[in-house]
Amino acid sequence: MTAVAAGTNRIDPYLIPALDGVAYGLLVFVAASGLVFCFGVANILNLAHGLLYAIGGYTAAALLDGGWASLALALAVGVLAAAAAGVLLAGLLTPVATGNHLSQALLTFGVALAGGSLLVAGFGPDNPQVQVPAALEGSVMVAGHRYAAYRLVFIVVAAVLAAALYLVVRRTRAGMLVRAAVDDPEMVACLGVSPARIRAGVLAAAGALAGAAGVLGAPIIGPGTGTADTVLLLSLVVVVLGGLGSMAGTLLAALAIGEIQTLGVALLPSAAPFLLFAAMAAVLAVRARGLAGRWRSA
Amino acid sequence: MPLITPWRSRALTAALLAAVLTTSTACGDDAPGTSAGGSIKIGLLASLSGTYQAVGTEIRDGFQLYLDTHDGKLGGRQVDLIVADEGNGAQTAVPAATKLLKQDRVSALTGIVGGGSVAGVTPVLNETKVPLVGSNGRPELKDVSRVWHTSYLSDEPGAAIAQHVRDNVKGSVYAIGPDYQGGWDELRGFTDAFGKIGGKLANADGKTTFTPFPATTNFLPYFARIKASGAAAVYTFYAGSAAVDFVKQYAQSEIKDIPLYAAGFLTEGGVLNAQGEAARDIYSVLNYSPDLDNAENRAFVAAWKAKHDGSPTTYALASYDAAAVLDRAIGAAGSDPTPEAINTAIGQLGQIASPRGTWQFSTTTHSPVQKWYLRQVRQDGRALSNTVVGDLATVGR
Repeated sequence: MTAVAAGTNRIDPYLIPALDGVAYGLLVFVAASGLVFCFGVANILNLAHGLLYAIGGYTAAALLDGGWASLALALAVGVLAAAAAGVLLAGLLTPVATGNHLSQALLTFGVALAGGSLLVAGFGPDNPQVQVPAALEGSVMVAGHRYAAYRLVFIVVAAVLAAALYLVVRRTRAGMLVRAAVDDPEMVACLGVSPARIRAGVLAAAGALAGAAGVLGAPIIGPGTGTADTVLLLSLVVVVLGGLGSMAGTLLAALAIGEIQTLGVALLPSAAPFLLFAAMAAVLAVRARGLAGRWRSA
Repeated sequence: MPLITPWRSRALTAALLAAVLTTSTACGDDAPGTSAGGSIKIGLLASLSGTYQAVGTEIRDGFQLYLDTHDGKLGGRQVDLIVADEGNGAQTAVPAATKLLKQDRVSALTGIVGGGSVAGVTPVLNETKVPLVGSNGRPELKDVSRVWHTSYLSDEPGAAIAQHVRDNVKGSVYAIGPDYQGGWDELRGFTDAFGKIGGKLANADGKTTFTPFPATTNFLPYFARIKASGAAAVYTFYAGSAAVDFVKQYAQSEIKDIPLYAAGFLTEGGVLNAQGEAARDIYSVLNYSPDLDNAENRAFVAAWKAKHDGSPTTYALASYDAAAVLDRAIGAAGSDPTPEAINTAIGQLGQIASPRGTWQFSTTTHSPVQKWYLRQVRQDGRALSNTVVGDLATVGR
């Protein structure tokens, strides 16, 4: 065996985990960006964020029947339902002073518990199965390796979603308001934009993102009793790793989490249970501001 | 006051919450139970809510089926069956069992899904001197004088299939399972027996790969390692939703053509429907299959199908057999079937005819000495089903 062949052999087994890390990372990005918006822009600590994802996931499980039409329907219903839940949360949060994280945490955590119980009551305690469109059910060959077709397509769709999100934030008036609210919230309030409106808008957008992630990501992080906790946990880790100010930081953190959870596990299976949190602790110790700087740099 | 608190404090809040979430997601005296009218009280404890609801329901229905097909009588006495919910584990099981044993004063207890629940209930059994004829969970126990099981020990499926895998797989085998007590036992049963007869594991360090449980939902990183190891076959044990994830992802992965052998729970009951086509051709080992060809099984399956959709599982069978054991033991305990007399009678039953074939209690472990079957997921009419393709070892000690 030549040295070159030995070299590719050493990398070759990790191609698929690395690719899967991108799929997982992009899913975490779409799911977490809503929480980052809430926290960074509206200064709302929304512990019910995982619930919004779960709403999308359960919608996917209930509506998907293996056809493309059902996927479009599930996506529409999931996004609308989760966005509506976000607006409802914004309404509930009205009496709670902005920036009072303890009250917000208690309120949204209560909502998360109650909502989680409602989902279990409605859909049962078993993890429901998600049926993706038949055309995506199989697997395809990627560089000599077999990989699930759905995940490959998901990478493309999630990348498009991320790009669209970037354009909305950079190029639209709503995006400008959002950026302004991060930089100087008092001035935005002086300009006559009601904080309540920003709050409702941001929570609705966060819900829509989480709902979309829940529907599209259901075959990867499926709906179940633990889904809301898992997604909230991953999103909080994104906040810790990526900071609140920039989309680039959020994306970087989400991709890092994806790779740690797949490539990291493939490289160091014995460390699998604590790899993610070891990485989080290391980032906090070395660079408490997160992987990327503030928003302006994005 | 600024509307936004400093970033550091928010990062700290997020980190603390992450930490909190991680930790929180980690889990009689004289003649009781009989009355002058010739009836007898039996307590059934099973998970009728929570994670193991599906298994608990099968266990309740299996016992009820035996009663329904035997005029509601065990040992000639009308049975007053008191059902209680075990919940998710010992925390809910112990109070429920205490009520059955101390307040309802049942003559015998049956069911119990979780091994942890059995361990938690055992002290109350010893205090009240009531026998348990368990039909599923069986932890490591020091004193089994009042504990009997109609199911199996967790390391037996692997031990039963090891010889078959050794004979039929040309090359090394990759062992992988969930990182908790049940997973360790199931995989140890296989690797110990497989190693003794000269089998070689493909795992890098020669030891089983354990995946964090229940956190692991993405098995692709592990499949990449299996591919790289050059294994000729894979042996595994997963149950519930982890089994669905494992099988579905396996079928779409680059190791889909490597033969998969498993403890039968990987494809047993409801999970097989959820796995669908992905489960086709998987080999598994179990002490029961609904297509076994004997008179007891034909009657059992027919009676089951008259009341339920689909075929009975090993969980329902074990509970059905627990009722059969109590039936004979109460009958043999004489005119005054005290818990003590029933317990003694169970120890003297000898051979027990059952839908799984004839078995008997081991005198040392009080669990069955029984035959294990090799099954393969194949088309059966319109649905996929576990079809018996051969007999494996008779195991029990």
